[in-house]
Amino acid sequence: MNDFFTLFNVELLHSTIRLSTPITLAAVGATICERAGIVNIAMEGLMLIGAFTAVFFAYITGNPWIGLLAAVIAGGIFSLLHAYATITLHLDHVVSGAVLNILALGLTNYLLILAFGHPGTSEPVPVSLAEYQFAVPFLSQIPVIGPVFFNQRPIVYMSFLLIIFFTLFLYRTKTGLHVRASGEHPLAMETIGVSVYRIRYLAVIISGLTSGLAGAFLSIENSNVFTSGMTGGRGFIALAANISGGWSAVGSFLASLFFGFAEAFQYKMQAARLLDLPSELFVMFPYIATVIAVAGLVRKSRPPKAVGLDFRIEKQAD
Amino acid sequence: MKKYLTWSLIFCFILFTGTLVIAMPQGEKKQDNIMVSIATDIGGLGDKSFNDGCYAGLEKAKDELGMEIKVVESKQMTDYVPNLSGLAEDGSKLVFAVGFLMADAILESAQHYPESYFAGIDIWIDPASAPKNVLGINYKEHESGYLAGIVAGLLTKEYVTISPKLNNNNVLGMVLGMDIPPVERYQAGFYAGVMSVNPDCTVISIVTGVFDDQAKGKEATFVLAEQGADIVFQIAGLTGLGVINGAKEKGIFAIGVDVDQNYIAPETVITSAEKGVTESTFLVIKSVKEGSFKGGQNLVFGLNEDSTGISPYHGFDSVIPQKVKDKVNQAISDIKSGKIVVPSTRVEAGYNQ
Repeated sequence: MNDFFTLFNVELLHSTIRLSTPITLAAVGATICERAGIVNIAMEGLMLIGAFTAVFFAYITGNPWIGLLAAVIAGGIFSLLHAYATITLHLDHVVSGAVLNILALGLTNYLLILAFGHPGTSEPVPVSLAEYQFAVPFLSQIPVIGPVFFNQRPIVYMSFLLIIFFTLFLYRTKTGLHVRASGEHPLAMETIGVSVYRIRYLAVIISGLTSGLAGAFLSIENSNVFTSGMTGGRGFIALAANISGGWSAVGSFLASLFFGFAEAFQYKMQAARLLDLPSELFVMFPYIATVIAVAGLVRKSRPPKAVGLDFRIEKQAD
Repeated sequence: MKKYLTWSLIFCFILFTGTLVIAMPQGEKKQDNIMVSIATDIGGLGDKSFNDGCYAGLEKAKDELGMEIKVVESKQMTDYVPNLSGLAEDGSKLVFAVGFLMADAILESAQHYPESYFAGIDIWIDPASAPKNVLGINYKEHESGYLAGIVAGLLTKEYVTISPKLNNNNVLGMVLGMDIPPVERYQAGFYAGVMSVNPDCTVISIVTGVFDDQAKGKEATFVLAEQGADIVFQIAGLTGLGVINGAKEKGIFAIGVDVDQNYIAPETVITSAEKGVTESTFLVIKSVKEGSFKGGQNLVFGLNEDSTGISPYHGFDSVIPQKVKDKVNQAISDIKSGKIVVPSTRVEAGYNQ
């Protein structure tokens, strides 16, 4: 039993943060998007686009910050497709998202060959964001929590800041109120003269920006190359994190941390060999944890009323 | 109602004849060259491992035998049968299925297309029940693993002084993609190799469950490093790129797999456990060209066929003690002569993981 407790150390927390950061970023974007009434299952694709763009620009310019910026912008641009399809063309949200995921996989694979001349993996970027790790003075001296939360790499800090930012945005700003209202009662919004379409476009683009950033984390911060399909289902886990986090930024963050923890923990369990179980069971553990978390927590949270519903101004005006 | 029916019948008729007319000339087009093709696994081309190795074999056949070649990449498991069948449909004389996971798909396609030959890399077929146009191509990965295990087992204990990256913990690590037979053969061989020179060593394996997720490979490697491992053997396809990068970041060594992976991180990858997919692919294509292809059986390539082994040490050549190299060479000749039989499963190797 003593061995079991030695598994819980600072390394486990580090691992948790590394594994949860991309999920956190995508999940907080999903929160904003769904709060505005648009279901977004395209995070997987948006992350892939971000991951590829980050590597491509970091590779040709030699500067990872340009890669990061390009990834965020590319995520935003790609998400416009989802916004246009669901808001302007009134397409089913799930259909549009699914199509975009497939499109992103094909597109990144194609561009990979165009840009680097061979499929599968890109060339490594000359400088990755991992080299910009820095410790926040004083705060990083706090035992346990200090080194984990305050001696990190840029995108991890950004994810912390974005959680705070989006929480304030949703509950403390007028635009945040509009976002929430267009997911709850879009008609009311339209009657007071605020464009639901515009607010929803904004929300979808925000999810594109954060997902692009999540992709950049995977490719140029946690690694230094792009590999085909490297997001590995994290976009969908992010969707689950958003739902089990009760459609709030902080909830999404906590749920993402939980999933990251489940994954980090299963590697530790495998290595420690305390349980004589088939490896497949360990590999399944994070996903089982996800199902339990969603099933257990989702009943207590309520989705935005108008999420996934089409909104037409003409129709409502009759 | 009747009118609609009539019109739709006429429409169907036009469509049907139209298709026939358009399809006809293509069906009769004669092909001068023999076409050989591959359907890759999900990892696909660019895995710097066996998919690429197989493709290199095809390119060699194109250059040397004048074959026409074609590649289709699988994006998901449900693509296997359509891809294999589609290639046979296109007139491919020989279709390669790359990867253990395509075992069922190759049998299904072979039954439907008896005119084409099918060869499955890493696929073990049952000679009694399999169609006669299917060939299984397998490798003795455990032999490569065994040799890599000897290198790792000696370095992690007796020769820790040769590099500051090694430590005194006497722990080695392995990161696996999926726990499938070819991976298990590497694993069992590696363990047996380590045990043959360093019986006290702790060998820890972590299964990531995927072949295409770098981030997972990296986390697994970090955990192994934390447990004290100083050399990590990756058997995980693209996931393994994360293993090599993780080892580099933690300042420990890695051992590559399938092809020489030293170029990925020259300071980190001491050697790679290889399997010569390219050469065996070429040999099978050649047998089709010469008309000597014989299906309904399995071919096994190992040290005796020059298809397994470990890569050159590159930058470590001057660092690795001569005694280690001698041990490896001794093992090679012992395996070839049959003096050593390398275990191919965890049970045979006595590896309790």
